[in-house]
Amino acid sequence: MMKFLMLMIFTIPLCFKKNMFWMVQNMLFLMFFMFMNLMIDILYYCNLSYVFSCDILSYGLILLSIWICILMVLASENLFKMNFYYNFFMLNLLLLLIMLFMTFSVMNLFLFYLFFESSLIFTLLLIIGWGYQPERIQAGVYLLFYTLFASLPLLMGIFYVYYKMNYMMMYFMKFFSFELYLLYISMIFAFLVKMPMYFIHLWLPKAHVEAPVSGSMVLAGIMLKLGGYGLLRVFILFQKIGLKMNIIFIVISLLGGFYLSLKCFCQIDIKSLIAYSSVVHMSMVIGGIMTMNYWGFLGSYILMIGHGLCSSGMFCLANINYERLHSRSLYINKGMMMLMPSMSMWWFLMLSSNMAAPPSLNLLGEISLINSLLKWSYFTMIMLMFISFFSAAYCLYLYSYIQHGGGYLGIYSFYMGLSREYLLLLLHWLPLNILVLKVDYFMIWF
Amino acid sequence: MFKNSICFVSFFFLFLFSLINFFFFLFFMIYNYVIFLEWELISFSSMSLVMSILLDWMSLLFMMFVLLISSVVIYYSKSYMSSEMNLNRFIMLVLLFVFSMVLLIISPNIISILLGWDGLGLVSYCLVIYYQNIKSYNAGMLTALSNRIGDVFILMVIFWMMNYGSWNYVFYMDFMKNDYVMELMSIMIIIAAMTKSAQIPFSAWLPAAMAAPTPVSALVHSSTLVTAGVYLLIRFNVLLLDKFFLKILLLLSGLTMFMAGISANYEFDLKKIIALSTLSQLGLMMSILSMGMAELAFFHLLTHAMFKALLFMCAGVIIHMMNDIQDIRFMGGISNFIPYTSLYMNISNMALCGIPFLAGFYSKDLILDMVMMKNLNFFVFFLYFISTGLTMFYSFRLSMYLMINDFNLLSVYNLYDEDLVMLKSMFVLMMMSIFSGSMLMWFIFSYPYVIYLPINLKLMVIYVSLFGMLMGYMISSMEIYLMNKFSYIYNLSSFLCLMWFMPNLSTYGLNYYFLNMGQMMLKKIDMGWSEFYSGQGMFMIMKKYTIFYNFFQMNNNFNIYLFSFVLWMIIYLMILMVM
Repeated sequence: MMKFLMLMIFTIPLCFKKNMFWMVQNMLFLMFFMFMNLMIDILYYCNLSYVFSCDILSYGLILLSIWICILMVLASENLFKMNFYYNFFMLNLLLLLIMLFMTFSVMNLFLFYLFFESSLIFTLLLIIGWGYQPERIQAGVYLLFYTLFASLPLLMGIFYVYYKMNYMMMYFMKFFSFELYLLYISMIFAFLVKMPMYFIHLWLPKAHVEAPVSGSMVLAGIMLKLGGYGLLRVFILFQKIGLKMNIIFIVISLLGGFYLSLKCFCQIDIKSLIAYSSVVHMSMVIGGIMTMNYWGFLGSYILMIGHGLCSSGMFCLANINYERLHSRSLYINKGMMMLMPSMSMWWFLMLSSNMAAPPSLNLLGEISLINSLLKWSYFTMIMLMFISFFSAAYCLYLYSYIQHGGGYLGIYSFYMGLSREYLLLLLHWLPLNILVLKVDYFMIWF
Repeated sequence: MFKNSICFVSFFFLFLFSLINFFFFLFFMIYNYVIFLEWELISFSSMSLVMSILLDWMSLLFMMFVLLISSVVIYYSKSYMSSEMNLNRFIMLVLLFVFSMVLLIISPNIISILLGWDGLGLVSYCLVIYYQNIKSYNAGMLTALSNRIGDVFILMVIFWMMNYGSWNYVFYMDFMKNDYVMELMSIMIIIAAMTKSAQIPFSAWLPAAMAAPTPVSALVHSSTLVTAGVYLLIRFNVLLLDKFFLKILLLLSGLTMFMAGISANYEFDLKKIIALSTLSQLGLMMSILSMGMAELAFFHLLTHAMFKALLFMCAGVIIHMMNDIQDIRFMGGISNFIPYTSLYMNISNMALCGIPFLAGFYSKDLILDMVMMKNLNFFVFFLYFISTGLTMFYSFRLSMYLMINDFNLLSVYNLYDEDLVMLKSMFVLMMMSIFSGSMLMWFIFSYPYVIYLPINLKLMVIYVSLFGMLMGYMISSMEIYLMNKFSYIYNLSSFLCLMWFMPNLSTYGLNYYFLNMGQMMLKKIDMGWSEFYSGQGMFMIMKKYTIFYNFFQMNNNFNIYLFSFVLWMIIYLMILMVM
């Protein structure tokens, strides 16, 4: 594991050389393929070095974060072309990747917390550094304080766990069980904010609307998954109390998923709509984890990977429109099928994956989550049906509103999709739909 | 250039596959041969997630029909869509549609059937919104969301099936039949099939989907997509026998048949009339299926696919020639100008009505005879026979409006009957809609049904048909002032011609509540209380206290200095005085 860390650290000087933008990306590609060939055992932590190691849960998420970072470089070529501090952008990106890598690969609970929080700093820098509107400062404050508010209790909780357990290795957490309400709340609430759960999701649409495309991609692609990863890790401590208390969070997130999917119809900003749709998906993930059964855990894992690829791809698409029309309003982004017919196909493919159309990982994840949630209680069927129906409805609404009909007449100039953008979308879509053929990596992991 | 066009290549391959399927069908039929393939994606916790493929005579025959119709429809769109800029996109969408239909037909696994089932919904959405106008936008949304209800129910069935350890429903239907979970599943499957086949609460989308290009209507909304629900229930028919919900299905499908038959008589849009007749025939298939005769439903499904596709293609030719007018009041006397197309149109209409020895006769007459043999109540009997009469009624009315009545077109017109591409493609289906009935009857039913009826009951079909024909003739020659008399019964006629207000149920009646609820939630929770108790609220509290402490510290420090100076001076003086 250290070799990957060293690879990333020694790529940093490359950021400051001139015209090394794509070189850094190539290094990340190299790292991706190296990482892909890592030996992974199903049951244990493998590849131990110092505090880093990797079981199959972190393996998938690290791969996802490297992949999303590569695609972030690909998506923000404009920075390079405009010479908009692209050196610092690459530095920021690499540091963010290092933090994410370490978050997913450390075995120590405290170190996990440390890197979990420090990855926030680089996201914040990304938003307030390369965002578009002046409101990005407010969005950054929202992002920071929502997560910090809940994460300081997490720190106290971790210290308490250390006090009781005397060590912090995640592997040994399975031998302990705590039945303390306050500890339970303080340990999971930070992750629920990060996911985000309904009622504490307000930072997410704000941050997405103000973030640059790379910020949105990393937010939707990985930052939300940090919460899921954390929940999957710490729930091993709270198996007993979880059975009592989880009903609160399942109910909130399922009802919230239904309400949020209705709210999606009232959005006029493409990015905001996509952000709300990702909250809907995450609410299902929360539900799956909280049921604490096998199907729920693996379904939430699959849906996290699938949603990371899918919503990141949709933010790319939103940005592709934004770069051409300089607006994300649904009233201006109209009739795109006339101007960019091939891009319309990609919109449809991404949105159909988002609404869990067959070959995608999202469908598999959704099926698993439905299985787990319905096994938990049959009454969740109503909410799940509504969520599933309305998630299709807002996806189609978004697609047809943007693509169908006459165009916006105030367009000054326009250009077609670039091959870089098609590559970008292909690299999002292909793993999303191909990985279904090898679901062993997602389904058998503990 | 013609040889290399995408239409021709697709036509060739689809036709070839159709023939291959036909020969395989014969082989499988004769030897009663079934191939069942399973490809395991994963298996854990004693549950196996597989993609399975079932090839038996039924799936092969259905595939043969689907491929045949799609091949001629694609050939037909070579001419029909000739001025389309994005012809490639259109043909690719149609091919994708055919592909997902084939996937639906061959996979008897409730998870892998989603591949076809969802694919049908999504691709048909793309095809309905193919034309860039508001009408097709709305129709597409209605179509896709109605179908999505079925998808959601299939997703729920996947959960209930998890108890059995696998999703291959064919294994569990026989011996798990009286399981409570199986009963629940069968209800969900029926609802899913009803959405796809546009049965009564969900039937608004089928006429709306006529906003699609006509070849799409011929392929998608007559013979393939809408029959997917019927096909699913045919596969599930073992499960469905003698269930209470099946009686409800019988009622609903009978009512669908009746409702569509009546609405078709009020309609003046050429394609919508045909769509409503499709709806009526779907009701017939569903109702015979809900009485447990799956093979008959399958038989009618196949013959109906042939002549209904032909009917739509004829309608497409007529619309083309009529300057893109679809209103049948503009048409009339066209048999003098386009004899071939009129011939095809008449043949398909007659086959639809069940005129003896055309395709529809074999299936429809058999169905009606079997219905009479069953022990049914009067209401269902009434629905069946009134609907049979209504079929004759609207078909004859359509024929009269199109071919016999006065010529009503605009003063500038260009009617011709020399579009060989369209005529050739229609010829195939014309032959099939003559022969396929008898052909399939000999194939499918190895021995004839025994039907034993009194003479008047047997002739009942003829009576209602003749009566319907007479009514069709009379209503088509109705003058305008007579038609205006319908305004005396305005409420009743609007009820009947608006498909019993079912479009309102699926659109304005329902979406208002949900959209309003979403708006309210957004305003009151996301922008209201959530903000108040977290982001903005905390900001306000902090601001308030900051201002409060600032008051002492910074803003009026001069006052405070002065005040404290005076205070200290007073204290000092008091100390001095005391001392």
